[in-house]
Order: sequence, then structure tokens, then C-alpha cells
Amino acid sequence: MNMLGNYVEHYTMLSGALFTLGCIGFLVRRNVLVQLMCIELMLNAVNLTLVAFNRLHTGDMNGQVFAFFIIAVAAAEAAVGLAIVLAFYRLKSSVQSDEADQLRH
Amino acid sequence: MNVGNVFFALSSLLALAGAFMTIASRSPIRSAVGLLITIVGIAALFLKLNAQFLAAIQLIVYAGAVVVLFVFVIMLLGPDAGDGEGTVARARVARYGAGAFFALLALGAAHLVSRAGGKPTLFGLVRPEHGSVEAIGSLLFRGEVIPFELATALLIVAVVGAIAVARGKPHVRREKQGSPTARMFHGPLMARDAQRPLPTKAQKAAAKAGAV
Amino acid sequence: MQAIEALFPANDYTLLAFIVLLPLLGAGVNGVFGKRLGKEAVSLLALSVIFVSFCLSVVTFLALGHAQEGETAARFYWKGWEWFHLSTQGGGNTTLNVAFSVDALSGTMALIVTGVGFLIHLYSTKYMEEDPGFHRFLTYLNLFIFSMLVLILGDSLPVLFVGWEGVGLCSYLLIGFWFETEANAAAGKKAFVTNRIGDFGLLVAMGLLLYYTGSLDWSGMEGHAKELLTPMQVWPLGSHVPAASLLPHGAEAWLNTPRYVSAATLVGLALFLGCAGKSAQLPLYVWLPDAMAGPTPVSALIHAATMVTAGVYLLCRLSFVMVLSPAAMFVVALVGACTALFAASIAFAQNDIKKVLAYSTVSQLGYMFLGVGVGAFTAGFFHVITHAFFKACMFLGAGSVIHAMHARIHDTDQSQDMRNMGGLRKYMPYTFWTFALSWAAIVGLPGTSGFFSKDEILLKAYTSFVKSPVAGNKLSDGNTTIELFSWPTWAGGLLYAIGLVTALMTAFYMTRLFIGIFFGEFKGWKIVKSWKAPAHGHDEADHGHSHAHEHAVPGQPLEGPTPHESPWQMWLPLAILGGLAAVSGFFNAAPLHITPFDHWLEPVFAKAGEAVQLIEDAEGKVPVFLALAFLAFAGGSGIAYWMYVTQKGEPARKFAEAFPRFHALVFDKWRVDEFYDEFVIGAVDSLAEFFTWGDKWIVDFVLARVSAALVSFSGTALRFIQTGRVQTYAAVMVLGLGAVGWFFVTPKVNATTHADDATGAYTVSAAPGLGYGYRWDLNNDGKWDTEEFGSQTDVSLNLAVKENRTVKLEVKNAFGRTATRSFSFVRPQPDLSGATSRLDLPSIGDGAVHRPTGLVHSLPKAGEAR
Repeated sequence: MNMLGNYVEHYTMLSGALFTLGCIGFLVRRNVLVQLMCIELMLNAVNLTLVAFNRLHTGDMNGQVFAFFIIAVAAAEAAVGLAIVLAFYRLKSSVQSDEADQLRH
Repeated sequence: MNVGNVFFALSSLLALAGAFMTIASRSPIRSAVGLLITIVGIAALFLKLNAQFLAAIQLIVYAGAVVVLFVFVIMLLGPDAGDGEGTVARARVARYGAGAFFALLALGAAHLVSRAGGKPTLFGLVRPEHGSVEAIGSLLFRGEVIPFELATALLIVAVVGAIAVARGKPHVRREKQGSPTARMFHGPLMARDAQRPLPTKAQKAAAKAGAV
Repeated sequence: MQAIEALFPANDYTLLAFIVLLPLLGAGVNGVFGKRLGKEAVSLLALSVIFVSFCLSVVTFLALGHAQEGETAARFYWKGWEWFHLSTQGGGNTTLNVAFSVDALSGTMALIVTGVGFLIHLYSTKYMEEDPGFHRFLTYLNLFIFSMLVLILGDSLPVLFVGWEGVGLCSYLLIGFWFETEANAAAGKKAFVTNRIGDFGLLVAMGLLLYYTGSLDWSGMEGHAKELLTPMQVWPLGSHVPAASLLPHGAEAWLNTPRYVSAATLVGLALFLGCAGKSAQLPLYVWLPDAMAGPTPVSALIHAATMVTAGVYLLCRLSFVMVLSPAAMFVVALVGACTALFAASIAFAQNDIKKVLAYSTVSQLGYMFLGVGVGAFTAGFFHVITHAFFKACMFLGAGSVIHAMHARIHDTDQSQDMRNMGGLRKYMPYTFWTFALSWAAIVGLPGTSGFFSKDEILLKAYTSFVKSPVAGNKLSDGNTTIELFSWPTWAGGLLYAIGLVTALMTAFYMTRLFIGIFFGEFKGWKIVKSWKAPAHGHDEADHGHSHAHEHAVPGQPLEGPTPHESPWQMWLPLAILGGLAAVSGFFNAAPLHITPFDHWLEPVFAKAGEAVQLIEDAEGKVPVFLALAFLAFAGGSGIAYWMYVTQKGEPARKFAEAFPRFHALVFDKWRVDEFYDEFVIGAVDSLAEFFTWGDKWIVDFVLARVSAALVSFSGTALRFIQTGRVQTYAAVMVLGLGAVGWFFVTPKVNATTHADDATGAYTVSAAPGLGYGYRWDLNNDGKWDTEEFGSQTDVSLNLAVKENRTVKLEVKNAFGRTATRSFSFVRPQPDLSGATSRLDLPSIGDGAVHRPTGLVHSLPKAGEAR
């Protein structure tokens, strides 16, 4: 028990679990908003891995800077994604991703 | 068993619980709250990992802006934001099957990794300025200044794009006339063709039968 | 003469180029500009090039005569340019030039070709005068003379083959000259295709000759001809028959025993196949009667005098190869004799005069091959010359008759039918007398050329044979020994009997033809059933005469010109040829011991003559055979005279009524064409139908439509993935992620092997990988050598000869997954066999031109007495 949280493997396992949960949520849920939230979950899991490895290799801060940029990009992506959701809602009056199938065969 | 271990256990539990809540709630606002909880948990883990600046940024940006954005959109959508009863759940087997398959993959990967053996890697000692504002700032503004500026540009573009996409035109609900393609070609393209109507499907079939 | 010899030395005899190329020039100019030049200019050009070629041939002939003395044959040679250069992997090489050479044999032949050719050109200027394709006809005739000269003056087999194909082409063009009629075009096609079947034989012979003698020109082949006396395995092709293992053991052993034939026999038979196609022997004679669809000068030139004798010329030219195989010579003689008999039998019942002459040509060609087959090359070749004279004369005479008949009866078939002729000797005296001279020659009236040449052949058929080329009649090359064919003792008698019977039949049917055309009453006065109104209107008799001419009433007399003699351009060649047919026999009158021709050709056939032998008491048989020959002539012509003049054809009619089916069979040429149509062409048709079925059902249906249907079906099936929904696509991405993960998780077993068969050292090097462990099994026992996975990546092993071993490698990666692969090595036995061909031997291949060695007559120095 002394070792809990002091090994990088703990963080990578946790990150893996979070990523898995986010991916399953994205595949299963039909609500576009929930899907976007699951994407954010996945990004957070990746951030956790990066920072954990940066804690292992302490030579420079590259991991944390990488995570910093991921946060910035995720924020931009969330903004644009939600704008698209609003436009989609205007078109179909629904936020079910099943309805967005006009590129089908 | 010291504070650090307990802190780690609590924050990881928090993150996992939040994740479950995000993916399993029926109401989107509850999913948003779950996301918030996960983000707070992740921020706590960042603190444990000597990434203080990043933890603060996580809380400010993610919890303070992204989740708020989600909540605003849910507010705008109103009751339509959730999984309404009028919709039919399509391809339920495929979706759940895909999810299960991914879960299997993850479990398999975990199993392989555990079998690969080797010793777990212990964190070493770290300098006090590891993860400080100065450390990250110096890297951002010296080594990585170009990506930093590009990220700025990205954010501006995202803002402009979001406004452009979300604004749209005043929405006029019209009844559907079949696919947009059919609507595009509904009438004649040029005025002179209006005098000569195209043959209907029945007329075309009759001509073909007559020719044979 | 000295001037000629000084100007044209024997090894750079440029006159040959002129002789050959002048007709080509004529053909080219007439062909391209003929229509614009007009008839007179075209005739003048065509005739003059042939005449100049003829004069140059005469000059060459005299120069040859001057140069040849004693035992060695003179040969003049001219090289054009190097054609190709062959080299083998073994280092041997041989060069082939486009070159021409002339010796006694080809010089004589060139005289005949250009001389008779000139006379026929002269004849054609009048015969084809009214034909709109006049210039085209003379172009083709000139082209034919060119090809024929290339054939006979070529210095090597490929050049001869160029001429061979050229005459085949011209034959096709000329037979189908009036190609607007379907039957004529079909006849031309038939000639060409049948010729092609023979050409296959000639090509096979060329290949074998190149392989065994290492060269393709006459002097090179003559020098190394003895190399052909080796056994060659002809069965099975390869080492065994593929499906033979399904048969019971005895049958399989019998089927797989190797059979050997002397290479010389194969070459001889292949050459004879080529000759059978070109010179219309059994079974490829079928094109020659159909070739009568062409204009009569064509029949005279090509199918009597020159092209069909190209086969005989080829065998005479390659006499030194043919005599190396008594088996092939026997086949030649026997097939020639049978062809003579067979064709003569068909000629009995024909009514079309050109068809009778065509079958007579086939029959006489059979005689020529009979002569060549028993080794009497000079006799066979002499018959070529005499046959050229009398047969060309007869064909031209028939053309003259048809020309006269055609003015009355415009239908082609009826104007050639003997039953519409008769009594023409009062109307066409020149034609009658020249035809009579040729008739006398062909039936063998003593003193004419045909008598001397044909009876020489018959005599030699009985007395001459080819003896074995090796001692003890056993051929061996060190590994296998075979027993060669030896000339049977009964062969002479059989061949002579067939020849004598054929002579009797020849006399009969030629007399029948002669009587039918020229004696009796002219039957063409009456309108015949298929009469067509003449092109130029004869209906000026509308002034109340008793005969009504406008309407074609059968039985009424026909208005039109009476048969008239032909113009001088037509009867002058007849006269010249008829005269030659009468007197040229004395060039080689063997019973009278006047044989300048034999003496002239002796050096050419010297090498071949060593293998030919006469039975004992040959001289004593001469009077007996002369008597028998005279009896054949007298008997045949006498019976024909009795039957057709005295009895006015009654016995023939009664015979035809008594045996109608037999008569119909002979009239239908023994239905050989129908047989070929049914079986040979029918087989090709069935094959074509099979392939049509295959094309329709396999290529079109299975390969095209079924595969298209499969693609469209799979498209329909795959389209279900395109739902347009992002979640579906994400799910598919997850599946792909699984596959990629699987790829990364399994270890890869790659290894390079290095094999050195000479020393027997083999190494296997495994490719490295992250976290890989290796385990080997080297000693072929199926169990791993070690339990643990180590890090040894390279192993090496040594093998003895013909030993094999299997090496197994197992690789484990960091995730604990393993993969296996096995490598097997065999060390083969080295190849110690040393089979080589003559071309690989170093003695050929100095790269120099093959000049005729030792045969060039040295030039006399100035002032030296001759």
C-alpha cells in the first residue's frame, strides 16, 4: 500500500481505464452531447498518461507542455463541436447522432 | 500507507466514478456533472504528479470553460437535449457489441501487459521547480514559442468558426419534398424547358415497351 | 568469253544480281505505274526485263560451261549482304548471307525459267489483252519470275525459302486473279494453305540441318553432311510419356521405350513433305486441279513448267543429304509412283481439258519424284526440262483453244468442256500441229523428248537403288545403335510395274484428249444448255432471215465467229515449245548413248552418285524395257484411237452406264477433297466450335459476367457498412484497431538462408526483434534442442550430397506469444551430362563468309592457251 500512486504503471492503468470508459461511451450512446463529453474523457486520460511519464522522466517539461496544448486544442474543439451540434439541431430538431445519416449509400 | 497513497486512491476513485456517471446517465446534465467530477479528479492527480500549473489550468479551462459551455448548450436545447422517448433506438446490438468488443480489447491488452512481466517503475526524486509556472513558462516561451503562437491562432479560428457555424440563417421549417437532390431538380432548370415537360416515369415505360 | 570472265569473277558474279533483280524491277514499275502507262508500255517493260534476264542466263550458262571441266562443278557466287548471325551458348556461331550462286543445275533451271517464262509472257500479252487487270497480271508474272529465280539461284536454304514462299504467294495471287468470283478466290486460298502445310516440313528440315551440320548454305552443308548420320530419339519426347503410368506395366514399358531414327531420315522426310506441298504429291496434291481456275498462261507457267518443279529442284539440290537415308528415298520414290498412278486414273473421266492437263501434270510430277527417289537425279531433272516444254506447250495450246471457244461460248466452264469441241484441226492448224508434237512427247512416241526422259526414269526405277551410307548398315553414336532401312529387292519391280501401268494410262487419256479436241465434228455449233447471250450483240440479223437469233432456243445453231487461229504472239511460243518438245530428247538419249546432259550435271551429283548403285545386268535389260515402253505407248494410244475414233466413244459410254457409281467416283476425283473437307477441315471446324463455346461460356460468361456479378453483389453487400452515421464508422475503426493490435502482438518469424550447393554449407539467420527469444531444432528429430528461449540468431549446418534436412525456428516475443517456421534444405547432385550440338563445336565460327571452297575455277592468265 505504500507504493500506491508512486509507480507510473498505476497511472497508466487508470488512464487506460478512463480511456476505455470514454471509448465505450462514445460507441454506445446516441446523444451527441454525451458523445462529445466522452471525447473529452478520452483526451483527459491521455493527458494523465503524459503527465505521469513526465513525472518519470524529469529531464524537461515536454510532457506537461504537450498536455497543455492538448487542453487548448480540446477547448477549441469543444467550442466548434457544440456549434455544429446547434446547427444540426436547427436542421433536424434532434441531437441523436442516428439522425445524421445523409452521407449513407 | 501515507497521505499520498490515500490522496491517490481518492482522486482515482473520483475520476472513475465521474467517468461512469458521464457514460451511463440518461440525462445529459448529469453526464456534464460527471464530466466535471472526472476533471476535478484528474486535476487532483495532476497535483500528485507535481504538475501544479497544469492542475490549475485544467480546472480553469476544462471545468471552468468547457463544462460551462456544455451546460449552456444543454440549456439552449432545452428538453430536446436528452434521449427523447419519440426516437427509436436503432442498431442497439451493433452499438453495444462494439462497446463490448472494445472492452474485450482493453482487457486483453491489460492481460498481455501483465504477462509481459518486468518490474514496475518507481518514480524518482524530483526538483522542486518541476511542474512550476516558471518551468512550463520558460519552455513555452523559449523552446516551444511557435506551437504556442499557432495554438493562439487556432483558438481564434475556432472562435470565428464556432460563431459562423452556430449563427446560421433564420430557420424556416418547411415540409420535406423528398431528398435535397429531388428538391434541387424539381422544376426545369431553364425557362425554355418549362414549355417542354420531361416525360414522367409512366410515359418512359410506355415508350420503351413500344420500341421493343 | 575472257571479257565476261574478267568482268565477273567467279566469286563476285554480279550478273546474278541482275538476273534476279530485273524482273523485280519490272514488277515494281508495272505494279505502281501500270495503270497510267498503258498496255503497250507495260507489255514492253515486262517482256524486256524477262528477255534481258534470259540473255544474261544464256551468258551465264556459257560461262559455266567454259569454267567447268573435269570432276569439280563450277559455281559462281555473289554475296549481297549479311543477313543474320547465329551464336549458341556453347560458343559456336554461324553467319548467313543473302547470296546467290549458280552451278550447272541451277544454271540450266534458270534458262528454263526465264526462257519458258519469256514465251509465256509473250503469249499473255495477247491472251489477256482484253482483261481490265492486264498490268496487274504482268506485274504478278514478273514477280513470280523474280521469286522463282531467288529460289533456284539462292545460295542457302533460307534464301531458297524466301523464293519458295514468294512463288507460293504469286501462285495465290495469280490463281485468284479473277477474284470477284468466289470459287477463284477459294482456289487461291486452297493452294496457299496446302503449300503452307508443306512449308512446315521444310522449316523442320532447316532446323535439323542447322543443328547437325552447323550451317545452312550449300557448301557448308555439303562439307558437314556426314554429321547427319546419328541416331535421333523421336519417341518419347522428353524422358517419358506423361500419362503412361496409368496403363498396365507391359503397355507402359512398350510405350516408353525410346525409338531412334537416323537424323538424315528425318531431314529427308521433312524435305519431302515440303516438296509434296509445293509439287503436288499425295496427299497434298489437291490444290493443283483447283488452280485451273486461274488464267491459262498461269497454269502453263506455274503449274506445268516452273513452280511445281521447285520441289524436284530442292531434292536435286540437296541430293547429298537425301542419299544419306535410303528410307527417305524409298518413300519419295513410292509416293511419286503412287501419285502418278492415282492422278492418271482421275484423268480418265474428266471432260474439262484444263483439268485433264492438271492431273497429267500431277502424274508427271510423280514420275519426276520416282526418278529422284531411286537415285537417278539426272533422269528426274531431265524429265523436269522435257515436261516444261511439252506441258507448257499443251497448256498454251489449250489456252489457244479456249480463246477461240470463248468467242462463241462465253461461259467459262462450257468453253473448256471437251464435249463441246472436236474437229478443231481444220480451224486452228498451228495449234493442232504444236499440240500434236507435245502429245507425241508425253505419250512416249519413240524419238521425242518425252520418250527418252520417261523411259530413262522407268529403266532406272527398276535398276537403280540407294545403298546404305554406313558400313554394316548399323548406325551408332556411342550410346545407341540402330539398324538402318535397306532397299528391298522387290522395290525395283514394284516401282517399274506402277510406272509402266501409268505410262499406259497416260497414253490412253492423252490420246482421248487429243482426239476429243481436234478430231471428229465440231460440236460447238449447237447452243448448249447454259448458253449466255454474248456481250457484244450479235442480233443484227433482224431482217427476216430464217434463223431467229435473238432468243436462246436450245438446239438451234449458234451465231458467232467460227473458231479461228490465234494471233502470232500466241502460236509462236507454241511453235518454239513444240519444237523443243520434239527434239530436246537428244540431249540425254541414253539408249543411243548420246548423253551430254548427263555429263554436264555429273559434277553436281558426284557426291550423291557415290551412294547410288545399279543392280547387276542393268545394261542387258535396256532392250527389254525399250520394247515394253513402246508397247505401252502403242497399246494406250491404240486403245484410245479404237475407242474414240473407230467406235465413236461407244465403249466408254457403255462402261459409264454399266458402272455408274464407279464412274461417278472417278469423275469426282475419288472424293479426296470431300474426305479432307469432312475430316481435316471438319476437325478444325470442331476445334473452332469448341473454342467458340469456350469463348461464350467461359470467357464471356464465367470470366466476364460472373465476375462482374460477383463484384456487383459484393458491392451490394458491402454497402450496408456505409450507414452515414459516425458511430458506425467509429465501431469499424475499433475493429481495425483490434486487427492492428493483433499484428503488433504476434511475433514475426523472418530468417534469411544462404545455400552453397558446391561445398554443402547452409546458414540460417533469424531477423532480430524487440524482446524476441529464439529456439531451434537443428538435428531433424522433431523436438526442440533447448527448452529455454535463447538469443542465438544464426545457425549453420553442413550437408552431404543428396542429403536433406529440415531446420525449425520458434520465436517468442515479450507478450509471450510464439510463432514457428521451418526451412528445408536439399543438396542436389551435380549435372555431369555433356550433350552438345554441332553449332557448339569450335570448328565453325570463324565468323567469315562461307565461300565455296575448292570449286572456283581459277582465271586463266592473259595469253595462256586454253
